[in-house]
Amino acid sequence: MTTTHDGGNGGSQPPVDLSDPRLSRFDIVKEGLRRDDIEIVTYESQFPGVNSKAEKRVVRNIAILLIISGLAGLAFVVFYIVWPWEFKLGDTKSDYFTPILGVSLAIALFGLGLAILAWAKKLLPHEVLIQHRHDGGATPDEQLLTGQTMVYVAEELGVQRRPLLKGAIAIGLAPLGIAAAAPLIGGLIKNPHKPENGQNPPLFRTGFDPVANNGQLVRLTRDDGTPVRPEDVSTGGQMTVFPGIPGGATNEYADSPTLLIHLRPEDALVAREHADADARNKGSMFGDYVAYSKVCTHAGCPASLYEQQTQRLLCPCHQSQFMVTRNAQPIFGPATRRLPMLPLEVDSEGFFVAKSDFKDTVGPDFWERP
Amino acid sequence: MTSSTPGRRWVLARRRKAPSRARRRLGAAVRMLAALALAGGVYTAFAPGAFADDTPVPLSASAQEGKQLFDNSCISCHGENAQGVVGRGPSLIGVGSASVVFQVSTGRMPATRQEAQAEEKKPQFDDTQTKQIAQYIQELGGGPQLPADGNFSDDPTTNPEALSRGGELFRQNCTSCHGNGGAGGALSSGKFAPALHDATPQTIYSAMLTGPQNMPVFGDNQLTPDEKRDIVTYVTTQLQQDKDPGGIFNLGRYGPVTEGLAIFAVGIVVLVFTALWIAGKS
Amino acid sequence: MKRRKVDLAQAPADIARGVDERYQVATPLRAILNKVFPDHWSFLLGEIALFSFIVLLLTGTFLTLFFDPSMKEVVYNGSYTSLRGVPMSAAYESAMNLSFDVRGGLFLRQMHHWAALLFVAAIVVHMARTFFTGAFRKPREANWAIGVTLFLLGFLEGFTGYSLPDDGLSGTGLRIASAIMLSIPVAGTWISAAVFGGEYPGDLIIGRFYIAHVLLIPAILLALIAVHVGLVFKQKHTQWPGPMRTNTNVVGERMFPRYVMKQGGFFMSVFGVIALMAGLFQINPIWLFGPYSAANVSSASQPDWYVMFMDGLLRVMPNWQIYLGPYSIPPLFWPAVVGLGALTTVPMFYPFIEARRHKDKAIHNLLQRPRDNPERTAIGAMAFAFFIWATLMGGNDVIADKFHISLNAMTWSGRIGLLVLPPLAYFVAFRVCLGLQMHDREVLAHGVETGIIRRLPSGQFVEVHQPLGPTDDHGHPIPIEYGGWVVPKKMNRVGALAPAIKGFFFPVETPPEAPVSPGMPPVTGPDDREEITSGH
Repeated sequence: MTTTHDGGNGGSQPPVDLSDPRLSRFDIVKEGLRRDDIEIVTYESQFPGVNSKAEKRVVRNIAILLIISGLAGLAFVVFYIVWPWEFKLGDTKSDYFTPILGVSLAIALFGLGLAILAWAKKLLPHEVLIQHRHDGGATPDEQLLTGQTMVYVAEELGVQRRPLLKGAIAIGLAPLGIAAAAPLIGGLIKNPHKPENGQNPPLFRTGFDPVANNGQLVRLTRDDGTPVRPEDVSTGGQMTVFPGIPGGATNEYADSPTLLIHLRPEDALVAREHADADARNKGSMFGDYVAYSKVCTHAGCPASLYEQQTQRLLCPCHQSQFMVTRNAQPIFGPATRRLPMLPLEVDSEGFFVAKSDFKDTVGPDFWERP
Repeated sequence: MTSSTPGRRWVLARRRKAPSRARRRLGAAVRMLAALALAGGVYTAFAPGAFADDTPVPLSASAQEGKQLFDNSCISCHGENAQGVVGRGPSLIGVGSASVVFQVSTGRMPATRQEAQAEEKKPQFDDTQTKQIAQYIQELGGGPQLPADGNFSDDPTTNPEALSRGGELFRQNCTSCHGNGGAGGALSSGKFAPALHDATPQTIYSAMLTGPQNMPVFGDNQLTPDEKRDIVTYVTTQLQQDKDPGGIFNLGRYGPVTEGLAIFAVGIVVLVFTALWIAGKS
Repeated sequence: MKRRKVDLAQAPADIARGVDERYQVATPLRAILNKVFPDHWSFLLGEIALFSFIVLLLTGTFLTLFFDPSMKEVVYNGSYTSLRGVPMSAAYESAMNLSFDVRGGLFLRQMHHWAALLFVAAIVVHMARTFFTGAFRKPREANWAIGVTLFLLGFLEGFTGYSLPDDGLSGTGLRIASAIMLSIPVAGTWISAAVFGGEYPGDLIIGRFYIAHVLLIPAILLALIAVHVGLVFKQKHTQWPGPMRTNTNVVGERMFPRYVMKQGGFFMSVFGVIALMAGLFQINPIWLFGPYSAANVSSASQPDWYVMFMDGLLRVMPNWQIYLGPYSIPPLFWPAVVGLGALTTVPMFYPFIEARRHKDKAIHNLLQRPRDNPERTAIGAMAFAFFIWATLMGGNDVIADKFHISLNAMTWSGRIGLLVLPPLAYFVAFRVCLGLQMHDREVLAHGVETGIIRRLPSGQFVEVHQPLGPTDDHGHPIPIEYGGWVVPKKMNRVGALAPAIKGFFFPVETPPEAPVSPGMPPVTGPDDREEITSGH
């Protein structure tokens, strides 16, 4: 029973003569540990003897795990090659491609992982070692030497003594730094208030703006571009409509999707009463029809969960609720502003048009929103 | 399609084309006249029978059976001759047979109690009885009807475009409440849009046509019968029958909520136990 | 020509000597081989994040080979029937193609996504461990701050990745991100315009997020992870107090071979869990979401779980708008910008705050059990109660739907809960800590409760306590000083009655044979070892 007990500073035992031929390899390892300020507390086999039954069992189990891992890895490759993988509708074999890959790869990885872990945990000798930390910085002498060296380096440059250089550095280098940053920042900056093609900036306008349509009123269309007649929307129904301009239903006009609602007559009465009492929404309804921007005033999700009996409009993202019959006033949730109403009219051919653009800015709120 | 709008159906068939402006104008005028004439004709043919309460309605045999069932199970809330009872149940005049089929075949009606939303349960009436009640309500007040041929969906193998068109329409009109995966969703104050996992083609079709409870109505002018069939095809084929290709479990297709639950309940838990085994608690 | 005889057995030694002569590696290499690491399950939580990150790099590189970060409109014509003929962005099309027209692509994509969720989840759990055990104290304050930064970077990396496929869900997320930028006072519209290159959504954002997702953020992540792990290595890992363990040493096992093998095995396990989840659980089925359209949305639109706390805060925020003349600050600003900013920066300063409060300038290498610093534990419980409740509120619509609760009631419970639960968590955690500490001290003073009741000659009944340490002349235990380490609470068999039936529940114990190390003399520790030592 040998014991090494060297404490932290590694001086309590004389160094071992490494040229001594009687030293075992373990003795040399121990000497290395000692020189690294590490002492061994416990180092013992987990088995009662060399080639004991228990050891053989562990070795066998590890071998089995490795073989399972190999087989599963092989299975992964085979399935990857032969299993039909191309998507087919219905409950087909291809739907099991991903699960088979996942399970076989997982078995292979778990097998390998468990084998390595078992090797480390069950087969290697049990060991407890103590290493000294050497916390708390260098000796005061060392700190002094390094500190003074640094101060001296600064003195050598002599910026303190040469005020002209100090100013020149600021004047000379600052623009260079700004020059490096300018293209990055300047390239990204885009003025959101800049008018485009003589029209309002896109932030304050949607595709329903007649100005962009050569002064013609913009039709309300479905996503395929077909215009909408009043009778196309059922009573108690709603339809998502887009501006009838080229690309009006694409994401280019992400602010334009509008919800056209055909209210029941009794609800329409209430809605009209509220709309006419409001300066902005006065006369914006057409018959029993009302159209609100679909873009939530809170965070911009399409607020489109229309409850045709309770007349609420719910936004699925943050649960703001708007009252359709009361100018889409928010009645619950985080939204603060009502949904803008699109003034409706029917043109000579019987299709819905927007009398003008939305009178409020569409979409989520911001600092300088008018 | 018997009752109201034969003229409009003809219009619908042409709607998706883009004729020249002059032709459109002319066509619009002609169509308007035709529609007016037809609507008038239809009205005179059907309206007196449909709305006159004092004259007894001549009911067909099946409607007679339906009236029996109605008088036994529905009359307490919906009133005599389905006129409605204030504070208990709405009038069923004009809701149409499609509505009856939806409400009764999904067990929502007869409702057990008054609540925010009637829930789906085991239906009380079999198919024949449902049809009889539907026939009775139809003959009482008219309204939307399901297609007579009972054809609610397309075959995606012969008509694969139905799937992609149906998918587009589904995402435009349905997902906001029922979810991309058809898992359903919450509405305001305790109401909800049900999951579509076990909805039959007839249920989906009739729901779109009639807009039960808080669901908006998607009449035949808005979504043509073909478009409705496309949506039904997408729901039944893609959302119901198609096995999810991304795994054995689809986590209910609720999206990131259940995925986040899974990463903790499975991933983190398994790995913490692994770590416990590797390093122990000492 | 004379042929030199090559001695193969000598070759490795020759090569090693040659390398050392040129690069002087022998001493540092031995220091690494012999470095001692402490062993505890909770020290492996950070490794889960590290290994997930490696999986993310591997799978992510695969995905880049097929992904096209372009918003150009194309018409889909791939294998997935239900989207054929649908116009979509090239980014979405390529994400579809790599899912359905690349063999095994869907599996790799799902691995990438699950690994991302696991990465951030492990970061949070690891962070909790570090916080509750006081591992952030001097000298590790900087590494704690780096860790907090890593969470923020993981958050951004995750969000940019979530946005890339340009499907219906990611587009909705981007829309909210743009609204959050817009909500910033004064500069909001300018920031949003700069990020999106004009009005939302524009046609640049996917390309910009792509380069951020695959280059900028991963590069910073990689660098910071290297520094993070390097500092742990340099400063040596903290350890729990316990027998032999002091503030100036590390008790554990050598890095090679045992520790590294355990790490390797654990890496394989993490990899395996990710593969298994990717195979069994479908994640982010973009084919059901469809291409992004500004007009479409799905119920249950949520961000991935690590962004959900922010979404939850947005949901429960009351509609308070601040008006300043013609200008206004929308309610979105407070939870999304101020909230996220506070949640990711305030924790960075916690180590300094705590040190200053306790005027503590000492170096701490020994961990504290959560119960031993009730105040910190309570603060942590408060913070996590807030975080968890906010995260739950991010899924409040799904919870409302599936448990048949009114959505409005859920929102209100979220509002009230956010105010009430954190202080409650503080109070409860504080009391629980004190209680646990008290019980530990009691056991140290009186011994372990044995459950054996003895009747004294006076007729009095007393419970027999098994002393933990030496006893005085009367047989009463001499109180042991509180050491901040596990106190045994269960009686051991020494001196107690043997089980009535041996071998029924447990096998009959046989004395183990004396252990012998293979080929080398066994070494055991001396008896005069330091006992339990506290960190101070």
